[in-house]
Order: sequence, then C-alpha cells, then structure tokens
Amino acid sequence: MENRAEENIQIKDIKQADSRTLAILWTDNRDCRYDVVDLRRRCPCAACIDEWTKKPILNPEDVSEDVRPVNIHSIGRYAIGISFSDGHSSGIYSFRYLRHLNR
Amino acid sequence: MPILETVKRKVMGNKPSEDAIKKALSKVVDPDLHVDIVTLGFVKKISIGPMGKVDLGIQLTTPACPAKDMMAKQIEEEVGAIPGVSGVNVEFTADTTRSRSKLNPDVMAALGQVKNIIAVASGKGGVGKSTSTVNLAYALAASGSKVGILDADVHGPSVPLMTGAKDPTEVHGKMIVPPEVGGVKVISVGMFNKDGKANIMRGPMTSQIIRQFLTQISWGELDYLLIDYPPGTGDIQLTLSQMAPISGAVLVTTPQEVALLDVRKAVEMFASTKVPILGVVETMSYFVCDGCEKRHPIFKEGGGQKVAEEHGVKLLGSIPMEMGVSECGDSGRPIVSSAPDSASAKAYREASGKVAAQLSILNSQAGEGLVSFNLDWK
Repeated sequence: MENRAEENIQIKDIKQADSRTLAILWTDNRDCRYDVVDLRRRCPCAACIDEWTKKPILNPEDVSEDVRPVNIHSIGRYAIGISFSDGHSSGIYSFRYLRHLNR
Repeated sequence: MPILETVKRKVMGNKPSEDAIKKALSKVVDPDLHVDIVTLGFVKKISIGPMGKVDLGIQLTTPACPAKDMMAKQIEEEVGAIPGVSGVNVEFTADTTRSRSKLNPDVMAALGQVKNIIAVASGKGGVGKSTSTVNLAYALAASGSKVGILDADVHGPSVPLMTGAKDPTEVHGKMIVPPEVGGVKVISVGMFNKDGKANIMRGPMTSQIIRQFLTQISWGELDYLLIDYPPGTGDIQLTLSQMAPISGAVLVTTPQEVALLDVRKAVEMFASTKVPILGVVETMSYFVCDGCEKRHPIFKEGGGQKVAEEHGVKLLGSIPMEMGVSECGDSGRPIVSSAPDSASAKAYREASGKVAAQLSILNSQAGEGLVSFNLDWK
C-alpha cells in the first residue's frame, strides 16, 4: 500500500518530448518519460486486459510501431485519457498506474 | 525608547518604514493555513501616508474567509502598535483562481471562470442533500461570494422548488444563461423536463445530459459552483467527477447506521477519482422542540463525527431538525435567507465558512498540479 503522500500526487506538467515520447512532470518533481507505443500496448481498459483474471487480451505484436496518440486529456483529477491513431481510446491511465509503469 | 532610535526618528521624520510594517504583519497567522500572511504572499499593498496613516491591501484565498474580521482586528493591533502609525486601513480582496490554462475548450467555455467546484453528495437518498446544497450556497452568497448551483440529480431534481428559480429564458449563442434567484445562479435538470413525469433514463442517456450540463451553461464568473449530485455511487456520479474539475466534495448524511455505511461508499468513490473530501454535514442531528427548547436526538448521536474521524475529514456541521427547514424549502426560500436566526441557519452558515476554509487550504497546497489539460499530439 502506498503512503498518503503518494495519493496526493498530481501532474505538474505534461508535454510531448519527441515524436514517440510523452513527458510527465509530477508534483513531487519526478520527471517521467513514456514511450507512447508501449503505453498503447499496456492499455488498462477492459478490452485489452481481462477485468476478472487480469490476463492480457491484447497481443502486443498486434500494435503497430507506428501508432501515435491523437489527443491526450485529463480525466477528473486522477487519470489521463489517450486517443490513439488506431482508433482505440477507451483506456483510462490513472496517475497511480502511470507512476507504477515508470518505477 | 533607545536614544539612537529617537534621534533617527527625529532625523527621518516620524514615518514608519515598510519593513517595520511587514515585520508586524508577519505576526499575523492565517488560522486555517497556520502560516503568517507575509510568507503566504497575502500582503499585496502597503502604502504609508504622510501623516503616518497606513493603507494595507490583503488578498485572501476566499471572499468567504470566516476569519476575516479576526485577522483585520489583529492586523490593526499589530501595525497600530508601530511608533509613528496614526491609523490603519485594511482592505481585503480575494483570489480564488487556480491554474486552468489547459482545460478542454468546451468545458473551458462553460466553467473556465468558475474558481471552485464543490460536489455535494450522499450515499443514500432522503438525507437532506438538496436542502444542504441550497443552504450552503445561499450562506456562501450571503458572505459576499458569487455562487451557482447545478442540480444534477437527474432522477429527482428538487432545487427549482427549493429556490423558486424560474426556467432560463436567455441564450448566448449555444450557451444557456442560468436564471438568478436572490443572487445565486441556478440550473436544474428539472427545468428541461416539463411534463412532471419521472425521468426514466438509461446510463448512456444520463451521461449525455450531464455532458451537456457541464458544457452548455454560461456560468460566467463564479467563486463557488455547488453541484447537487444524485444520491448513490453510480454511473452519473462517476461521469460528473470525470468530466468536471471538482475541487472537493461535501458529504451529507443522517446519523443512522445505514446512512453512515453508505457515506463510506461515497468516500471510496471520491477517493478513486482523487476528489478531496472537504468534510461531512450531518443533517437531522437532533430535534428542537418548540415547547421545551430541549434537544432531542431522534437518531443516534455523534454518527457524523464518527464517520468524519474515521476518514480523517472534518465534521462541517450538525443541522438540527426544525419545522422551518423543510417548510422554507418547500416555499422556495432557503432557511438561511428566510430565518437567518434559526439554529439551522446558524449551523449552515458555520458549515459554509468551513467549506470555504477547507477549499482555501486545498488551493494553497495543491496549487502546483494541473487541474485539467488537453494535449494534441504532433
């Protein structure tokens, strides 16, 4: 279980670092880089990961190296949503999940 | 006074220095933030007149700051004690704005000038959530804030009845201008459903309605927008918390065990969407008999306190049961306006001050985080 301070961490700045890297600066000043193709492959939505068994449904090889976000937006105060160029947009990437991915 | 000081004063005239005033002001501590007002950057203007008259501009995080009068008194005392000061004039301003530069454009158009969005929610129905929303809103408005109410209780909108708000008549382009009653802007789902039938809707429909509500109302400049949530922890509540940049949530409960149990669910829902809980309002806490003036706790005592402590949040107020509360609600005049001296009105006023204080604490702590953003990939 993460501590309470971790619970309150928000995004301080979010920007595109290069053609396939997303940069997020968190309020604890941790600077994280995310490969957008990797983010698509690790989409946490119910169509990509089985809700009950947590087993991946999506085969990473089915995701093209050319996939890119179209738009990235905030969801409430706890997550980001990404619309990808392959039409997939149902993933809700919570801050907790994003911080976990980049540990 | 030491001789050197006296000589200096004679040479330089009796004018107090800005540093001396700042030093005096640094003794004044904001009671909620526990930090002095100089460090907080609240001191915006110090001007010293030729006769030693000092004009101060103090910027607070909320116009409804409950400690305003107390702080004014303290400032006058501290600054007034500096030699050479003949009078002190304190002027308060409020800045409730936070960083919203990256809001979605459609949400921006509707909510861009709204400084704080407060969710008023409950775990179950019938606990007095709408009554609390309306009375908190009017109490905040009475303390000088610009306030709006968004009644999002799609299945049982009751805010129009409780406030006497008429249907909106004005439209700016695609945006609906909310009608104003007693200085509070009011929009309700009930204004758009005229046949009096129950709103029987499936999830996707309600989500669509909520989306329109959040993007097509021209709220203008507001200090506080209170959203009356539908009771429970379902689809609509989640949509609201995901679409609107909610600043914090007020949970309403009665003292019974069932209601308290459901509050816990609401706490978990807000936790999962990272909406901070501002505190708990307990309604129907006790009954004041008009014959004997005795407090009769009809349900259990201390339930609200217990649930607040359990989750580490504040008990914002305990609202008694009074004949007037629901009567006033039904007649379209909230009790804080129609019977301001009643026990309920007092309790609501106190609670609204605590809500404002909790929000300014949050705003000063979480100022760095982006409230909302929208990034197009290139």
